[in-house]
Amino acid sequence: MDPLTDVLTAISHPTRRAIIGQLANGPARFLEVAKPFDTALNAVTKHLKMLERAGLIERQKQGREVFISFRAEPLREVAGWVHEYERFWNARLDQFEQYFRNKKKRNKKERK
Amino acid sequence: MKESKKTLEFKFERTIPAPPDEVFAGWLNPKIPGNPWNMAEKLLLNPAVDGFFYWSAKGTAHYGRFTEMERPGRIQHTWVSPNTLGEESIVTLTFQKRGGDTLMTLVHSDIPDTDRARGHEKGWNYFLNIFPEQFVNRSHQEK
Repeated sequence: MDPLTDVLTAISHPTRRAIIGQLANGPARFLEVAKPFDTALNAVTKHLKMLERAGLIERQKQGREVFISFRAEPLREVAGWVHEYERFWNARLDQFEQYFRNKKKRNKKERK
Repeated sequence: MKESKKTLEFKFERTIPAPPDEVFAGWLNPKIPGNPWNMAEKLLLNPAVDGFFYWSAKGTAHYGRFTEMERPGRIQHTWVSPNTLGEESIVTLTFQKRGGDTLMTLVHSDIPDTDRARGHEKGWNYFLNIFPEQFVNRSHQEK
């Protein structure tokens, strides 16, 4: 995959976004990263590998310990690909779709 | 000097849980959330062929002229804003029946490719919105 696809793939999963969010607060050890997630450690390892491949995290050895830290630069580079009108129309259409979904739910409830 | 002009086109699709005539009418009704007219602080709207619209929000004005109006399947209008550098871009909407739903397609074409709209700063804000809480926490820590 190309670097842009790697980054977009990496941020497409909620667990990986949560990991990025956690690491945005500062570097952490592996078990600290894994702690908030109700998932197997090897699943967290896989998520970290994807983030590492996208360049969004890096590991640094400090003595005997390894700290994982967040790298923002790849997100900054990807950001240049997002056009204002992509954001504008996606936001408008999401809201429009949601209006009709809510209306359908209300109509179903009223019929019961 | 002849300048070559690069333009962009974006396509969006949504499946809306309502029949095409209802979705078509919803898109032109300023009271319905999600259509561009709904967010206007000031709005002039004449949704007919050769009818004009003007809307403004947060100090930014948008103008256009309806060029096609085929109820309930198709709407086309021009779209002029600061991001189009005052030139006419084209917005085309189609509404296709999919069972009880509508496949709604919006194509925005002939958009001048400018740094203003493709700005890194604005793009970066898009990602900040993905991780709002985390980045707020981070900025607090950095203070």
